[in-house]
Amino acid sequence: MAGSNEVNANESKMVVPLHTWVLISNFKLAYNMLRRPDGTFDRHLAEFLDRKVPANASPVNGVVSFDVVIDRTNNLLARIYRPAPPNPTTPLADLHRPPSPDPFPVIIFFHGGSFAHSSSNTAIYDSLCRRFVSLCGAVVISVDYRRSPEYRYPCAYDDGWAALKWASTEPWLHSGKDAKLRVFLCGDSSGGNIAHHVAVKAAESGIEVSGNILLNPMFGGNHRTESEKRLDGKYFVTIQDRDWYWKAYLPEGADRDHPACNPFGPNGMKLEELPFTKSLVIVAGLDLVQDWQLAYTEGLKKAGKEVKLVYREQATIGFYLLPNTDHFYEVMEEIRNFVTCNLKQPANI
Amino acid sequence: MSSSFRSDMGTDPYDSVGDDRWIIASASDRGSSRGEIDSLLHGAGYRVRSTDLRHVAIGLEQLESTMVGDQCVASSAEAIHYNPSDLTAWVDSMLSELAPDPHLLRHPLSTAAANTWADPTQQRPSLHRLENHHQHRNVPAVSLQSMDEEEDAAIRLVHLLVSCADSVQRGDSEMAGSLLDQTRLALARVNTGFGIGKVAGYFVDALCRRLYPPPPSATGGGGSAANLEILYHHFYEACPYIKFAHFTANQAILEAFQGHDRVHVVDFNLMHGLQWPALIQALALRPGGPPLLRLTGIGAPSPDGRDALREVGLRLAELARSVQVRFAFRGVAATRLEHVRPWMFQVAPGEAVAVNTVLQLHRLLGDRASPEGGDAAAAEPIDTVLEWIVGLKPKIVTVVEQEADHNKPSFLDRFTEALFYYSTMFDSLEGGRVGGSHRGGQQQQQTVVAAVAEAYLQREMCNIVCCEGAARVERHEPLARWRDRLGRAGLRAVHLGSNAFKQASMLLTLFSGEGYCVEEVAGCLTLGWHSRPLISASAWRADDADDASPPRDHQTLVLQDHSSSITSGSNNVVDGDDHLHQHSVMRSHMGSSDRINDTGSGSSCSRV
Repeated sequence: MAGSNEVNANESKMVVPLHTWVLISNFKLAYNMLRRPDGTFDRHLAEFLDRKVPANASPVNGVVSFDVVIDRTNNLLARIYRPAPPNPTTPLADLHRPPSPDPFPVIIFFHGGSFAHSSSNTAIYDSLCRRFVSLCGAVVISVDYRRSPEYRYPCAYDDGWAALKWASTEPWLHSGKDAKLRVFLCGDSSGGNIAHHVAVKAAESGIEVSGNILLNPMFGGNHRTESEKRLDGKYFVTIQDRDWYWKAYLPEGADRDHPACNPFGPNGMKLEELPFTKSLVIVAGLDLVQDWQLAYTEGLKKAGKEVKLVYREQATIGFYLLPNTDHFYEVMEEIRNFVTCNLKQPANI
Repeated sequence: MSSSFRSDMGTDPYDSVGDDRWIIASASDRGSSRGEIDSLLHGAGYRVRSTDLRHVAIGLEQLESTMVGDQCVASSAEAIHYNPSDLTAWVDSMLSELAPDPHLLRHPLSTAAANTWADPTQQRPSLHRLENHHQHRNVPAVSLQSMDEEEDAAIRLVHLLVSCADSVQRGDSEMAGSLLDQTRLALARVNTGFGIGKVAGYFVDALCRRLYPPPPSATGGGGSAANLEILYHHFYEACPYIKFAHFTANQAILEAFQGHDRVHVVDFNLMHGLQWPALIQALALRPGGPPLLRLTGIGAPSPDGRDALREVGLRLAELARSVQVRFAFRGVAATRLEHVRPWMFQVAPGEAVAVNTVLQLHRLLGDRASPEGGDAAAAEPIDTVLEWIVGLKPKIVTVVEQEADHNKPSFLDRFTEALFYYSTMFDSLEGGRVGGSHRGGQQQQQTVVAAVAEAYLQREMCNIVCCEGAARVERHEPLARWRDRLGRAGLRAVHLGSNAFKQASMLLTLFSGEGYCVEEVAGCLTLGWHSRPLISASAWRADDADDASPPRDHQTLVLQDHSSSITSGSNNVVDGDDHLHQHSVMRSHMGSSDRINDTGSGSSCSRV
């Protein structure tokens, strides 16, 4: 197990700015209160503690947002963020007009929370999606996927796939002379994991994805990696809580070598033959899961898929939630470049 | 197993963030960011004051250490949760709920934890990135003005100031200049409205003046004398130090004058004569009737043809007449006290003499020869003056002095001592103003008075820091040293009785805020701010002043009439005014080599 709490606290304080430390510690503390040892989850308290924001069709910093129902059978909601329409007193219908005559990216975003926490209307993710709109001139679709332990694998992936299909049928999301959906799949933590699996499904189904953006994606396996042992409990995250979340998401009786958790593990799928998209993978050097993330990157490379790895040595989990470090700004820059570069050209070879 | 919530505490998860979250003012102005909601965390849905961040962080740490293992879930499930947006309150309430152990100190880690968060200035994005991202221009600066930060900044400021003074002492003007720059920067990080920040600003300026002295200007001594009186008056109003000096001295004088028909007060610094109305009135009410009172006031010459001393004398004569006290006034104009000679007072035989020196004697001191303070090194003006004071055989000598050692041989020592002395002084100006009872004064008026009072103190500070040699007149020494000196000159201490102490305490409660304190030290009284004495009052008499010989009529004495006029000898200017005869003496006696002239003060230091 981890060393004394005091030692750990002092270590993380050395590299983590105060604001980040307060935010992530608060999450950690709150989340600790929600996970019951018997595997159940205090959803009521979770929703109480989660800070949420409403959608806002009035422009704020040039961005508007509105919620849509994607799939009525599952009550699947998504929040759409887009550049504000030029006409300030725009009727609601204008929100469903293309933001630009030129090609623009559509980013389908899957929020993090280890499959159990957060929603598309959680404040930190609302902020992040708004930033993506400004960053890339994109329309961002933040999917409110079903969460564990109430809904286990493959619900989250199904919801992700439903969102992608929905986007492909919305004419206003198509752009360019060829009227294509220029879609990127993006997610942090569990959302990154979802993005990968939805991209696999897309490749299997012939839907073209322009690129994957994975921020600290959540992967794992039965084996205890070196980084997990070294960083256990040091920077807000413990092996114990990782185990709990996998147990809550994966099918009953499954272990962490299940392909959902370990896509390039013993039970993983071969991607060589699939037109799987390009990937941008961002790894934080103080994330204990990094060995699995690096293994994922290697797996993609071995399968002949294009992947760019951005490794931020002194970054912790959640560094992308507060604009107070170089990590934040440089990674945003990477994302912008990735989207811009892959916008014009079709992703699959 | 459900948690109980306080439904009246804003349980709506949407309550924390409104449309204005992007419009929260950027915390670029450090002064205004204190107490403001932190914009970074506001974007995450939390309302926390920037100044509370460290407190919250420490609380989170403590919560984590108390919530170990599986107990945390069970206990937190039954806890009452407050509005999670108000992170400070939420953390505090969780601590009370889950860690009610009274032995668990609120901030056991506060000292260790205080400075251990990574310095966000290292993590802050470099400027060029901010320029590149137009959309990120709204990013607010990270604000860290917590109480710990303030204290650290203040400590650093003091350290820089003292280091600078040290460089000045060593003659390393380059280093001193560089440290001055750093000090100015450090000054920007503290609140200069009160406390160390305020007084530090003045000291920075003073050091600057010392390093880079301004060219001698035409302002000179003339205008500044009148100016000084204005400053003095405001200082008198703003705080009780001078008032304390006056009523303590008057009490001693009154007691010493008992049984004497003819009394003569020599005031080493007349100013506006604020001390004397009270004495005149007290003498008027004396059982057995008032004595004949003569007052000789020493003061700076007026440059513009005015006779300021005479004007004050006139006013006092008016007052004396109104209470039927026979009164005569004489003014002695002198630029420096050591130029004054006792014959200028024309003390008559049989008169009971009181010598009153309020914040004056220190001007007669010179450089101390050695750190141990051997005073026998050179004959200082003080020795000469004390000699003739004793020669007057005064019934009482009242001495009021600043309780500080601003005459140490080492500049650095003087500087440091002054820094803390005036810091306390300024604190008292600030604190006394807020708490004191007001004699009808409005808040705004008091602010102006206090501000001008600060200017008065600034002159003293400047003199201590910038001037040397004859120009440095603010050579304050502590009571203990005065005791020695006055004793060696042949004066014996007179206990200021308990009456004086009681009166002082009572008057303080009437006029001033809490924080002032009067103390008695071996028959002397000190007035200070909290535990720091700032001014001392003591009384002395000559050894053989117990002159039992009755007062004799002397040819220079005057016939008494109800109009309090005095004529004595041909030396005096007799004017037609039948209310009062008084005269500024010295200029008409200029046959001697003792020219009392304004020798022209080219510096910013004022002289008497």
